[in-house]
Amino acid sequence: MNLPLSTPDLVSRAAGGDRAAFAALVNDHYDFLYRTAYKWCGNRADAEDVAQDVCVKLAGALKGFDGRSAFTSWLYRIVLNTVRDRQRQGARRARQADALSKVTAGEAAPDQESAVTENQMWAAVRRLPEKQRDAMLLVYAEDRSHAEAAGIMGVKEATVSWYVHEARKALRDMV
Amino acid sequence: MNDEFLKSLKNIEAPEPSGAARTRALDAAMAAFDAAQAEESEKNQKKNSESAQGGGTAARLRSITSRWKRNWTMDIRVPLGATVAALLVVPMGWYFLNQTALTPVELSMPSLPPITSADGAGEMEVANVQTRQAQEFPTAPAAIPAPVAESLGNVAMEQTAASPTFSSAPMPAGGFARTGLYETKAGDGDRFTAFDEGGVKLTANEPVSTFSIDVDTTSYAYMRRVLEMGQIPPADAIRVEELINYFSYDYPAPEAGGAPFLPTIAVHPSPWNAESRLVHIGIRAQDVDISEVPPANLVFLIDTSGSMDEPDRLPLLKRAFALLVNELSADDTVSIVTYAGAAGVVLEPTSGAEKRKILAALENLQPGGSTAGAQGIEAAYRLAQDAMIEGGTNRVLLATDGDFNVGISDPDGLERLIEGERRKGIFLSVLGFGMGNYNDATMQSLAQAGNGTAAYIDSFSEARKVLVEELGGTLLMVAKDVKVQVEFNPAAVSEYRLIGYETRALNREDFNNDAVDAGDVGAGHSVTAIYEIVPAGARGSVDPLRYGENAAAPALGEDDEFGFLKIRYKAPDSEVSQLIEAPIPVAGQYRAIADAPQDMRFATAVAAFGQKLRGSGHLAAMSWDDIRALALFARGEDASGRRSEFLRLVDIAASLD
Repeated sequence: MNLPLSTPDLVSRAAGGDRAAFAALVNDHYDFLYRTAYKWCGNRADAEDVAQDVCVKLAGALKGFDGRSAFTSWLYRIVLNTVRDRQRQGARRARQADALSKVTAGEAAPDQESAVTENQMWAAVRRLPEKQRDAMLLVYAEDRSHAEAAGIMGVKEATVSWYVHEARKALRDMV
Repeated sequence: MNDEFLKSLKNIEAPEPSGAARTRALDAAMAAFDAAQAEESEKNQKKNSESAQGGGTAARLRSITSRWKRNWTMDIRVPLGATVAALLVVPMGWYFLNQTALTPVELSMPSLPPITSADGAGEMEVANVQTRQAQEFPTAPAAIPAPVAESLGNVAMEQTAASPTFSSAPMPAGGFARTGLYETKAGDGDRFTAFDEGGVKLTANEPVSTFSIDVDTTSYAYMRRVLEMGQIPPADAIRVEELINYFSYDYPAPEAGGAPFLPTIAVHPSPWNAESRLVHIGIRAQDVDISEVPPANLVFLIDTSGSMDEPDRLPLLKRAFALLVNELSADDTVSIVTYAGAAGVVLEPTSGAEKRKILAALENLQPGGSTAGAQGIEAAYRLAQDAMIEGGTNRVLLATDGDFNVGISDPDGLERLIEGERRKGIFLSVLGFGMGNYNDATMQSLAQAGNGTAAYIDSFSEARKVLVEELGGTLLMVAKDVKVQVEFNPAAVSEYRLIGYETRALNREDFNNDAVDAGDVGAGHSVTAIYEIVPAGARGSVDPLRYGENAAAPALGEDDEFGFLKIRYKAPDSEVSQLIEAPIPVAGQYRAIADAPQDMRFATAVAAFGQKLRGSGHLAAMSWDDIRALALFARGEDASGRRSEFLRLVDIAASLD
């Protein structure tokens, strides 16, 4: 019973109604959900909320996971959708913008361009249109290939490249 | 715009997620999982039989609560959710129906059914949740600012309209709080020391029972708060002796000049077991008029961390301390030190006559800022030392919602520091606030190390009770290290069980060892301990021994004793204990519980309530109604209204079970 199970095992058991498996699964992935959410939201409170919403969604959505993509890709998709829904509601835009400058301050690598510029760019990336932002963060913050990002976003690889291209152009103008 | 620069996006480091948020998320996930599973099985059941019992009820409930449906933070639809909502609404209805002047307005109750507190520790986030609901769901009932009395009135009306229907709806067997279906726990981050209920002891094997007195009442206030939120408190949060001792009992007080307290003993039948009797041991300490209390040198050591920024924390704390300040005279001094937020000395020792200055300093306290380890506690003790009053009360009052990073991170080191200061004559009491981060275990151990009490302040009326009504007891200790030892007579008692005091048990040899620390009794405090005993010859939990020495117990005469009570205590300024002794006679026991004194009957009802709330097997035969009836007829004059409040808590617990 207490043997550690692999993620695919946990997923299929949890989808079948195994409570302990579901608990273990959520427990294992909470940090991933939270960290991803943090990169997209830029503040801790929203990241925690998003992570929690995703945890709750998983209870109902797990049955819909068909195993064709990697479980983490699938999780990315849910996190991204949750972030998007949340931001469309727009409830916390102001707060987010506020928090951003505080959170990122002091975390910049010193050998890059000035920290201020870097912070500004993170903020700028998060202000991009949703698709472009998702592509940029997946490719640059999460270090995913264009193909992987395409899988997560449910678009063609060429489309991801296009988003990245557009985003870089936009950033050049913004920063 | 180069690639290197973009790659620095990888450097985004998320700060560690908070444990509370994590727990909340996992709990919410499990609740959603359970709801999804329940939905699944409901679907299957429907397929099998359309006339599934309870189906109609669910539909009815759903139609009533449909307007709340949109409150779910999750996107998945949970048809059962409506039922769950109804289950949560019932206790809320109770709460609002039961609103009186006693449970004052600053309780930061979620004024909507705590549906979003599928996130477990809901409380902590109530304010946020409400705003979010209001913004996200325009159709949701308008968010109501909790602390506004008028609004509460409106809600009460709204709820009254709805609740009769809800309460008449059948509860699922087993009660909601224990089904695991949307189990919303109050304050998930709250920490309690786990303990098991004290077991039955055979007098033949273990005739002597020893424990330390406990005058703390944190457990009662916490339990009340959780019940009023419509939830069953965790068993470890219920210390039955603290429930009993929350109430004051009118035991005869000793005459001035003699021993500091007097034991009162009574024996009467047990209401929950026809074979057993209850032995009450009541202790009442000398009452001291507040004007006769020697001058006090008080240092408020206040947690101003960001988490204190809730209506039931720093704002309540300010009002609570303001009450206390108003009781002080020109001979008293007050200092204020903060920690965890903007740390440092806020107010140097100031005379109680300068109330305005003290209150202004208190009012200016702001939560938030860094949690850098301030040398809070050392500053507090330094000020206490500076303003030391020889022969007076010198006490640090630590107020917190659970952060004890007062400057010393090692908990043992903190206890040692407090003990060291205690020997120098500076005592420490702890006041707990809020929920979700509440650290009961640490509070208890620090207060014990500091010869002080721990109190949980959940409302303004509780603040008044602790800091005004019982100020004498809080400030003036009349006896310290009070230990109780009872030796049962095997010829008269076959089995016994101490109700509560599990966390205060002492070894038999500790009783005479003056080096062993124990509880302290303040002026006017009353303390009650109740033993359940099975008289020799009555049917107990074990069979009598076939080859035992006195297999056939002789009938008890009037001269016999059930046992012998010994109490050891030290005068506040002494390190040598003194002894009080009294027999527990068979003669004079009450034949019926109705004959027992009113206060003892009430204490019995509270004992029954606490044990039943803990899920004790001993109480299986006693229903909530029985407990209520027992308490109702022992309520008496109840000038403070607390006994009436207890009756309401019994009702809430009954409705949740």
